Amino acid sequence: MEEKEAMAIGVCAVADRSTIPAMFWAGVRSRAGRTIFRQKDFGIWRAVRWEELGQAVRETAMGLAALGLEPGEVVSILANTSQEWVVADLGALCAGGVVNGIYPTDAAAQVEYLVNDSGTAHMFVEDDEQLDKVLEVRERLPKLRKIIVFDMDGLHELDDPQVLSLAKLRELGRAHDAAHPGDWERRLGARRPEDLAILVYTSGTTGKPKGAMISHRNILATCAAYQASFPQDERDERMAFLPLCHIAERVGGEYHALYTGAVLNFVENPETVPENVREISPTVFTAVPRVWEKFYSAVMIGLKEAGRFQQRAYQLAIGVGMRQARLREQRKPVPAGLALAFWLARALALNNVRRAIGVHRARILVTGAAPISPDLVRWYMALGLEMVEVWGQTESCGAVTGNPRGAVLPGSIGPMMPPSEVKVSADGELLVRGPGVFMGYLNQPDKTAETLKEGWLHTGDVGKVDAQGYFFITDRMKDIIITAGGKNITPSEFENQLKFSPYITDAVVVGEKRPYLVALVMIDHENVERYAQDNAIPFSNFASLCRRPEVQALVQAEIDRVNKHFARVEQVKKFRLIEQKLTAEDEELTPTMKLKRKLVNEKYRDLIESMYVDAARGIG
Amino acid sequence: MSEAGGSDEVILELANVEASYGPVQALRGVSLKVRRGKIVTVLGANGAGKSTILKTISGIIDPRKGQIRFEGEEIQRKDPALVVRRGIGHVPEGREVFPLLTVEENLRMGAYTRSDAAGVAGDIELVYGYFPILKERAKQEAGLLSGGEQQMLAISRALLSRPRLMLMDEPSLGLSPLLTQEIFRIIARINREQGTTILLVEQNANMALEVAEFGYVLEVGRIVMEDSCANLARKEDVQEFYLGMKAEGVRGQRRWKKKKQWR
Repeated sequence: MEEKEAMAIGVCAVADRSTIPAMFWAGVRSRAGRTIFRQKDFGIWRAVRWEELGQAVRETAMGLAALGLEPGEVVSILANTSQEWVVADLGALCAGGVVNGIYPTDAAAQVEYLVNDSGTAHMFVEDDEQLDKVLEVRERLPKLRKIIVFDMDGLHELDDPQVLSLAKLRELGRAHDAAHPGDWERRLGARRPEDLAILVYTSGTTGKPKGAMISHRNILATCAAYQASFPQDERDERMAFLPLCHIAERVGGEYHALYTGAVLNFVENPETVPENVREISPTVFTAVPRVWEKFYSAVMIGLKEAGRFQQRAYQLAIGVGMRQARLREQRKPVPAGLALAFWLARALALNNVRRAIGVHRARILVTGAAPISPDLVRWYMALGLEMVEVWGQTESCGAVTGNPRGAVLPGSIGPMMPPSEVKVSADGELLVRGPGVFMGYLNQPDKTAETLKEGWLHTGDVGKVDAQGYFFITDRMKDIIITAGGKNITPSEFENQLKFSPYITDAVVVGEKRPYLVALVMIDHENVERYAQDNAIPFSNFASLCRRPEVQALVQAEIDRVNKHFARVEQVKKFRLIEQKLTAEDEELTPTMKLKRKLVNEKYRDLIESMYVDAARGIG
Repeated sequence: MSEAGGSDEVILELANVEASYGPVQALRGVSLKVRRGKIVTVLGANGAGKSTILKTISGIIDPRKGQIRFEGEEIQRKDPALVVRRGIGHVPEGREVFPLLTVEENLRMGAYTRSDAAGVAGDIELVYGYFPILKERAKQEAGLLSGGEQQMLAISRALLSRPRLMLMDEPSLGLSPLLTQEIFRIIARINREQGTTILLVEQNANMALEVAEFGYVLEVGRIVMEDSCANLARKEDVQEFYLGMKAEGVRGQRRWKKKKQWR
């Protein structure tokens, strides 16, 4: 009965953009011959055309159909960002499935939880490494039927009835397609706009991760809103490198590109991002603050090694850039003299800086997913670039506020992006209503009820709005620290200022019910190492580098610098360095390499206590 | 009292040493300490910069940056001959014996900087004690010796300068496992009986961790780990990347490598 209805809708859905399969297939039909992807293959960027992608997706979808995937069943993907990820995603969606992305940095136990919680029927894995994780726990994955591997290197000898390669799946798909005419069309129309499309598990600072349910309508409405605010088209080049499990890259990168025809350029691996960006020089570039911080530090460090003339030229040029960025920020006209000076500044130095990063062609830089220091935004603006900060979360299917092009206000997340509505609640929380607001958490009606009240999404972010409608985030509601003195502190303000230092990657300010604030600091290994080398500070491994008094002094100087901008009670009195070099596999870091506040608070309790020992003694 | 004999005394110290071969930087800031009377090892893969460390200490390569202090005095950028006179002997990688000289002549070359003939004669007898085969071959050209014998000769030649610090570059290179064991046994004996401090560079991590007391792990020109050898041998990364032990995984085979974390 329901199937018949779905079929009927399917026929008309193909012509419109009401579901992802419909939108995608419309793109395949209208953009044949155009490039949609580029991915490096043996050192050469290889382009994939729309019709090739269409073919791969159809075969994958039909392969899943051959494996017995029913519309509405969940398919998980455990892989790094790559074109295969997108093929698997679209293949599963076009077969009528629901897709759940799993971070390739997750451990086997986490994979087990996510596969079971989502009720995954089939899953895609990147390679032998990811496969081993699944095989390790497969006895405890009763619902999992098949595992499909992208890259079979080292696995050709494997004879396991549960495992097959993507190539084999596509082969099954071709046979299925030939034997079942009409199945492809039927499946393409199997899902309705309000149906569940993807699951995005939120990193869950408290308790187990929660699977946010995002519908086709959520995604397509968000794509339309992005297109209204930040239009892009087939001529645009984008980088695809953030995890596709994350809503930012999934919707803002993958789906928005498929929606508009912009080209997705997949980086080789997370370490090659800077080189790949220079090679591609994207025209539209979305990234998280950490990436922007990295680029900035690289320029600062490079400058230190440059000649005196170059340093002077940069100082002059960036000064001019800053002056004109300030005027733009204050919405004042730029005098002709300054405009000319800025033209010279660009020719003299700033264009080289832009080229060194790889953003010389960028029409727009979008930053989101975490707060960014306003000074960093100003720096990019001073290079003559347009950097817009956007704000949103998984539960709103991505950005719902954003700085408009030409009217950026650094430090603000911008006005709301229609048709979404954003308002500040009585207790300062930002609430969101609109077509992007998610369907709720999978299997967690209580959590859903806490988050969605009377049609408004309660975001947990505390903020305010100014007379022009620009929103400002002060902090995460649960992150606000109340000191022993009863003072409310928003730690991220301090942390973001601190992260501006090239020597500091991340920091967590602590002080709940404490007499004063302290900080745990994660240094930037590369830059601090270089500092130590340049200043003849002997060290051997990472821990010994952290312990050097000169390095401690270096971080102290950065803390002192930031302290100047804060009132006495808001200042950080002591700090400790995290002496272990953390990687994405470590539980302390989110996949976007941010420190997890709650976890860090618990894991480094002793280190934190050590900063309050004197205080306790003083009282006792 | 403990000035000379105290085992905590640092005999050799490298601070922020950088060295390069032309544009290729081999050492990117190495700091390490060797205490008197100990065997210290530097582990690392091919091209990590292990040999460069030794060559920089013995003056064959001048560091671009940083200090090397031997018994408290800076010796970087000094002439290699002077470094030998100061008390550092270098057993180079691949032996490098003088092939056309006899075994005994090779040994005498090692004593080139010394003028006490009686002492030299005594030391030659000493090394014959360690390596009796060398005595049997005393009059043979060194080029005719086997690889193991040449290694013995190279070690002996270095000993002839009565070094207080011996730099050993891959003594196990190209030797059979049995011979490797023997060489290492004697290295330990020399250290014990002569009190010679030894800085040992090895790819054979198993042997090196067994014979040495303290170790450093070098990765592309930088030290990523330092600890007592007993502790190093227990580290997961050392086991996987240097001792060839690895968890097999559920499939009974594994091709992919863990990310190195060095903790």
